[in-house]
Amino acid sequence: MTRNLLIAAGVMLAALAPVAVQSAGQGSRSPQDLFADRCAYCHEAGDWGTRVLARRVPDGEAELLKRSSLPAAYTAAVVRRGIGAMPQFTPTELTDEEIAALADWLDPAKR
Amino acid sequence: MSVLPPGLTQETFDEALDEFRAAIGADWVFTSDNDRASYLDPFDIGDQDDHASSAALAPAGMEDCRKILAIANRYKVPLWPISMGKNLAYGTAAPEMRGSVILDLKRMNRVIELDEEMGTAVVEPGVSFFDFKAELDRRQSGLWMSGPAHSWGSVIGNALEHGVGYTPYGQHVENICGLEVMLADGSLVRTGLGALDGTREWQAYRWPFGPGLDGLFTQSNFAIVTKMGLWLMPEPEGMAGVSIRIPRREDFHALVETLRPLRMKDVINAPYTIANGWRQITGGRVRTDVWEGPGAISQERMEELLAERDQGWWSVIFNLFDSPAGLDLRLEKIRKAFGENIPQATIDVRRWEQGQPQEAWMRQEVSLAPLGAVDWGGSPGGHSDFGPIVAPLGDRAEEVYSIIERRFIEYGKDPWVGIFGINSRALIFVADMYFTRTDAEETERCRRLFRQLCDDMQAIGVGLYRTHLRFMDDAAAMHSWGDHALPRLNNRIKAALDPNGILAPGKQGIGSWEVSE
Repeated sequence: MTRNLLIAAGVMLAALAPVAVQSAGQGSRSPQDLFADRCAYCHEAGDWGTRVLARRVPDGEAELLKRSSLPAAYTAAVVRRGIGAMPQFTPTELTDEEIAALADWLDPAKR
Repeated sequence: MSVLPPGLTQETFDEALDEFRAAIGADWVFTSDNDRASYLDPFDIGDQDDHASSAALAPAGMEDCRKILAIANRYKVPLWPISMGKNLAYGTAAPEMRGSVILDLKRMNRVIELDEEMGTAVVEPGVSFFDFKAELDRRQSGLWMSGPAHSWGSVIGNALEHGVGYTPYGQHVENICGLEVMLADGSLVRTGLGALDGTREWQAYRWPFGPGLDGLFTQSNFAIVTKMGLWLMPEPEGMAGVSIRIPRREDFHALVETLRPLRMKDVINAPYTIANGWRQITGGRVRTDVWEGPGAISQERMEELLAERDQGWWSVIFNLFDSPAGLDLRLEKIRKAFGENIPQATIDVRRWEQGQPQEAWMRQEVSLAPLGAVDWGGSPGGHSDFGPIVAPLGDRAEEVYSIIERRFIEYGKDPWVGIFGINSRALIFVADMYFTRTDAEETERCRRLFRQLCDDMQAIGVGLYRTHLRFMDDAAAMHSWGDHALPRLNNRIKAALDPNGILAPGKQGIGSWEVSE
């Protein structure tokens, strides 16, 4: 049975090779790539996360990359636990190491 | 703080975790408080800890799943399979039963097949709408995705949960064609024509020789879905975005009666969305900008806000898909129908033709925009949706709408109601309860409101399309015909396929509704 299933899968896959669409923690991704993949949909200019933050942070600092202060430890905690309307990220979306790299990259004190 | 699966001691659970680590690698067994917290429901309508998991496992593929099931059966560890785990407003990644172990399938994330000629795809659970759109774009596909309101979720997960989109393929569960599922005993089954060795028709036709089983594995806990075939729409020659304003509350009956034949005759060839007044006043605001009084925002205040933006008491939006000449014919029929039935309606139309840049109204771009409304009622915000399924008949829709509006106001909540004309013969109401998560009184009031509405709907024979984890038993118990014959059958199927009850206990009330009843 297992062999037959594999043959069937082989026939199906002949047209196009399957593509893994994300690495799920495998391999290394730069903080810039992580930001683009995981954060930018909400945290670029005009997006909803930026609009929500505009109500809470000093003028001109609603975009994460424009913050005058964004301690890495705070970012790491927020990403894993969520805050306000922002849901949290699981370790299969961002590993601890990836979050640490991302948080360091976003921290003006560490840039 | 340690959380344990029901019935297991710490010592026994530790043994099971050691076996899981040996089976799939310690890196993919998550037990820390921080990691477990990431699987809580951020928008829970009560204490998140009520639905805390005891651990999470992330298998790399089928063999890992099979090993996990063997261990779970041996130790009676309940598993809660998730795909992207973004079932926001319905529980997100959290399990119904506290102490379940999350089975996080995000690492199984391949687009297995994309067939341009057949207009079909086969995907794994970890493919999100973001991922899928990116893959279609990368391949310069001539096929379009039907995405839901927010794109973070899984293509499989959304279809299995009966999620909806805004194209002619917008009833996602009806575009499933062929599943691969792993049963609780680790055996693998392909439904439909996938049961034939060497098939070319798995994604061509849903009905094999014998019963069609795809539906059995949607909104259920009978198996782990490991692959899903789906149909995709070829890029249309043109689109028209139609926006209709209906000025008066009392036009609702006529509106439903006008839309039904247009949808049934396929003049409107994609789901439409009706929004009541309260649902339209949120854009760009928070609630305290417009209302500081006690209770729900009054109808008078809501109508003032609508007038400020020249909005109707009801709005209807939908997109049409056809050639430019076909769109002309469809629009002519729509204008004629509204002219005859609701002449006071205002109809605005935007057009797009193949080759032109896409625009936001086409809803073809991935987005997380709906999250922007979560803090409407206060931060940290959350929401839960009450979703009855209703025949698109004026009297019936008015009956249900009136009950919802009255109860929301009675419980001090803004009656924020959207209504989706999901197919030609069903409306899905989505009545959103927005709340401040840290306000225990408000969340408790919302839970009471939800259960009040369950009673109200059951009294008139109306069921729900989907619920948050907290109300799954309530929704299942509403199916009372024949001494609860259908929920009882679900329980019997569950007992036969998963005798140890390890797969998603409590999901959709299967196996648990009688206890809570």
